[in-house]
Order: sequence, then C-alpha cells, then structure tokens
Amino acid sequence: MIARLAWRSIWRNRRRTLITIISIGFGLACTIFFIAIGEGVYAQLIDQVVRMQAGHITMENPSYRDGPAVDLWLKAPESLRSQIERLPQVERTKQIIIGQGIARSGSGDVSATLMGIEPSVELDTSPLVRHIVAGRYLDDDDGPWVVIGSELAKRLKLGVGKKMVITTNDAAGNLVDVLCRVRGIFETGSVEIDRYFIQAPIDFARRLFGLPEEGATQLGVVLRIPQAQESVLQETRLMVAEQDIAVLPWQEVIPEIASYIKLDKGSNLIFQAILIFLILFTIFNTILMSVLERQREFAVLLALGTKPLLLRLQILMESVYLGLIGCALGLLVGGLAAWAVQVWGIDLRSLLKEGFTISGFAVSTKMHARVTIGLLLGTAGLVFGATLILSLIPMHRATRLSIVDQLR
Amino acid sequence: MANIVSLQKVTKNYGQGDALTQALRGVNLIVEAGEFTAMAGPSGSGKSTLLNIIGGLDRPTSGRVEVDGREINAMSNTELGLLRRERIGFIFQSYNLIPVLTALENAEYVLMLQGIPTAERRKRVREVLKEVGLEGLENRYPRQLSGGQQQRVAIARAIVSEPALVLADEPTANVDSETGKALLDLMRNLNEEKGVTFFFSTHEEAVMKRARRLLQLRDGVIFNDEAH
Repeated sequence: MIARLAWRSIWRNRRRTLITIISIGFGLACTIFFIAIGEGVYAQLIDQVVRMQAGHITMENPSYRDGPAVDLWLKAPESLRSQIERLPQVERTKQIIIGQGIARSGSGDVSATLMGIEPSVELDTSPLVRHIVAGRYLDDDDGPWVVIGSELAKRLKLGVGKKMVITTNDAAGNLVDVLCRVRGIFETGSVEIDRYFIQAPIDFARRLFGLPEEGATQLGVVLRIPQAQESVLQETRLMVAEQDIAVLPWQEVIPEIASYIKLDKGSNLIFQAILIFLILFTIFNTILMSVLERQREFAVLLALGTKPLLLRLQILMESVYLGLIGCALGLLVGGLAAWAVQVWGIDLRSLLKEGFTISGFAVSTKMHARVTIGLLLGTAGLVFGATLILSLIPMHRATRLSIVDQLR
Repeated sequence: MANIVSLQKVTKNYGQGDALTQALRGVNLIVEAGEFTAMAGPSGSGKSTLLNIIGGLDRPTSGRVEVDGREINAMSNTELGLLRRERIGFIFQSYNLIPVLTALENAEYVLMLQGIPTAERRKRVREVLKEVGLEGLENRYPRQLSGGQQQRVAIARAIVSEPALVLADEPTANVDSETGKALLDLMRNLNEEKGVTFFFSTHEEAVMKRARRLLQLRDGVIFNDEAH
C-alpha cells in the first residue's frame, strides 16, 4: 500500500512530476551524450595519432626518450614481431625510424621529420594513407621515393615526381645527402604534419641513417582492442625482459595528447558537474515542495500511528519512482542519440572548413560518439543515487513536524 | 466499567513569561468504556488541547494521563504512535482523508499499519463501510464524495480497527445540519450496538443534546459535567 500511496502521490501534481522527470531525463541524456561524444573524439584522436606514429605500445631504446636520435636504435627481429602479433588483442606491429633532417629543393629548404615506414603495414593501419591528395602512397618496393605534406610541397614548390634532397646525420654522426623523388602529397589538415613531415620506405631510411637490417628506432604495436593496452603492455614487457628495450604506452610516447585528454576531461567534468548540480537542485526543490505542501497529510498519517520510518519510506519511494522514470527516459534519449552518433557520426565539415587539430594532430571532422554499458549505467547510477540522497532532507523534515501544529 | 481515560490535575501551558497561556488548568477526568461523551465550550476553552493530550498527540505540562490503563506521560513518541495505532481512533473536523487513496484504502490504512493480512482487512473494511452507509462507494476517491460521505469514511477509518477509544474533534462542524444529524446517529448507533467509546468536542447545541454525558469547559477548566 505504501508503494501505491507513493506512486499516486507523485501524480497528484502531474505537471510538476513531468517537469521533474524531464529534468532528470534531460540532464542524464545530456550527460551521456556529451561524455559519449568526448569519449568518441578522444578514441578517434588516439586511434589516428597512434596509428600514424608508433602504435598504442612502443618499444625503443631505453635512452631514446631522453634524447631522440637515430643512433639509439633497436633490433626488431621478425621472431619478436610474430610473437607479439600472436596476441589476440594485437592488430599489427610496425617498425619505424624517426630522424630529423633538412629537405631541400631548388626553391629553398625546410627542416623536416623523416619517418621511415613499412608501406604495406601503413596501408593497413595508418590514416595518413587516406589523406593522399596527389600522386599515390608508397609501395614496399619503392626505393628513394617519399610522400610529403602539402604545406611542405608548397614551400619547396614540389609536385609528384619532382626531386628533393634530404640532408641529415646518420647513426654514426656523418652528414649525409640523399636525392629522392616525391611519390605523393598528403594533406591531413594539421599544419605541423603537413609542413614538416616526410615518409619514406624503411629500407631507404635505413640506408640513409646507416642502420642495419631489422634496425629501427621504434617497434610499434597497434591494438585491435585499445582497452587491452595494459595487459598487452605487461605481456610484451615479459617477452623482452631479457633485452635492453623499453616498452612504453602511447601516453608516455605522445604525452601532449595524454595531457590534452586529461585536461579536456577535467574541464568537461566541471561542465557536467554544473549541469548535474542545476538539475539536482531542481529535483531537490520539487521533492521538498511536494513534502512541504503535504505536511498536514503527513501529520494525519503520523496521528493515525504511522511509524516515521514508514513515512520516510514513502517519500523515498516517491524519489525512487521519479528517479527510475527520469533515468529510464534519460538512458533512452541520451543512449539512442549517442548510439546514433556512434553509428553514423556527425559531420562538422560545414562548420569546421579548415578542419581542426589537437596538439598538432589533425582530428577528423566527422565525430563519432563512443557509448559503453559502463558509461550508461555509471551516469544513470550517479543521477539516480543523487536523487535518492536529495530526498533525505525532505524525508527528515516530514517526520520532524509537529502533528498538533499541522492539524490545528 | 473500566476506565478508558483518566486525567489527574492535567495542565498545559503555551509560551512563557508574559506570553504564558494556560490552556488547561488542573483538569481531572474519568471516561469509562462505552461512554458517548461530548465536550463543549467556546473557542480557546481548551477542547482541542484536551483531545490532543488524551490522543497522545501533545504532552501535558503537568499532571497524569492514563489511556486504556497505561500512563502515557513518560511514553516515547514511538510508543505514543503505537498506542494511537492500536487503541485510539481519530475523527478530524475537516475529515483529513488521504486524497490519493480510495474510501476503501483510507479505511484500510490503519489495518495495514497493524499488519493485518490484505484479504482480512479488505473484508473488515467492506463490512464497516457498509455499516456507515457507504456500500458501493468503496472505490471512490475523497474528491468524488460529499462532505458527509467523507466524514463517514473518516468514521469508518476510526472504528475499523476496533479501538478502545474514538476521539473526534468537532466531527459535524463542516457539514450541514441534516448530515450532521445523520453522522451523529451513526456514531451513537456504533456506540450503542458495538460499544465503541466516543469522546468528542463540539460547540453545537443539537450535538450536545444527543450526548449521554456532557462536559463543559471554560478557560481550561471543566466547570460542568452532567449525564443526559
């Protein structure tokens, strides 16, 4: 009967109850939607960056982080790569060589980052391949051919098939010059990448930097399941435990992205907390009002011998009903909206004509949300729990009233 | 007959210092089981205060109060609540039914508090509603009932648990005289046929005349106690 009484009580002021339910639902839906969008963008960003760089997990010389240079290389034998690729969470391993140099043409010179890559692996894993705007991407058989960014091409007035010279220091410290030709031009939307980034086949890079076969500055591990990063990290560390190799998560290799995400999550959290606070304040107000205007009724119930605990239970149940309906509505609306954006995405090209970058890395203008059961249940649980906690004060007030004063 | 209510030198003060109001001044009273007692007096004479103290809704400033053979002065709020639930029925001037419960559910509420199984309490409530003339109206909400019918529901709620005492605060004040007369007939019949003890306040002459015992209060003192 208490459940029935609570259920009917919430509907005696239909408009107020609907406003409360919509407030809870709207707040939860917004929270789910924005968190899902944020998580989706972070996931997209991480995915693009790690695939373009040295994977979710990077193996390198332990001294490389302190002073990145091609002489701090490691040997990445095929046997090790096969062992890692046998892990079910792993998509591919990739060898890369990263070195600095100067790119020159008849029109000038620009300092650049040269990345030696395995073209067949990059074709499967790297988003850069999709950004070729002129010519084509590299083949494993390509010799001294490179792909360069559109900004670099503009500055050096280079086109497909044109010659350029790369000057750098090899692993032994010797100054070397090498002539190469442009196979393709990419445009990622990131000024930093499009202006300073050059990719070349790894064998060509090895010759340029004087590294032996299977020598690379990094061996990257691209994961099929990014959430499995920690376990793969542990397993990979065990595989190379006997060797002098550092195994690092992407957060340590590209700390600027990790910091950006942390900071952005923090500021989003503040925004979400304010939103939730405002909504909870509305809910609190509603529950309190509903209790205050029924003080006489509660006095009658107490006069009839209702235990205060039972009265509290009735008010708690009213909050449970409001919370459950509101959360169900929020889950439905927020979950569906986020799911739709996860599946179809939102294309912001018309708003972001220039594209946008985060810490120098271009992010796709087509945003996809990322909805997880944990996100849905976690946020709904938080809002539902907060709704119940908010009913504690009205509950307390209802049972502390003076029966005589209320019945007078 | 056993004493249902026993008051000895009961006083009740409100406020203090210059603002002190003495609502009851040393009231002595015995109400026996089966009585049909009315309490009359002008506004501010202490009628409601006396009812509240007997019903355990308020506490006296001094004096001894016994209800159904138990001294209630030292009872905790929880014990008083239990006493009200098990032994006292209340009828309020403005009905005070729960608007979201039907007539049947309103009357059933106290039995639910007492932990009586649903089937049994439904049976009892239907019988009582029939007794008070509400057969066929069990599923109506208070807003769908007239003032007289609502007060009948309140009477049904007060007597359904067969309490030792029913306290009524001006039960006919909010209904017309015809309905008031019918309500009083109902209460009187319940008293005569079922032995329910009624103790109620009124300031209506017609109601006073129907009581078998009439107490008259003025300035917190019972100055007249007569049997009819």
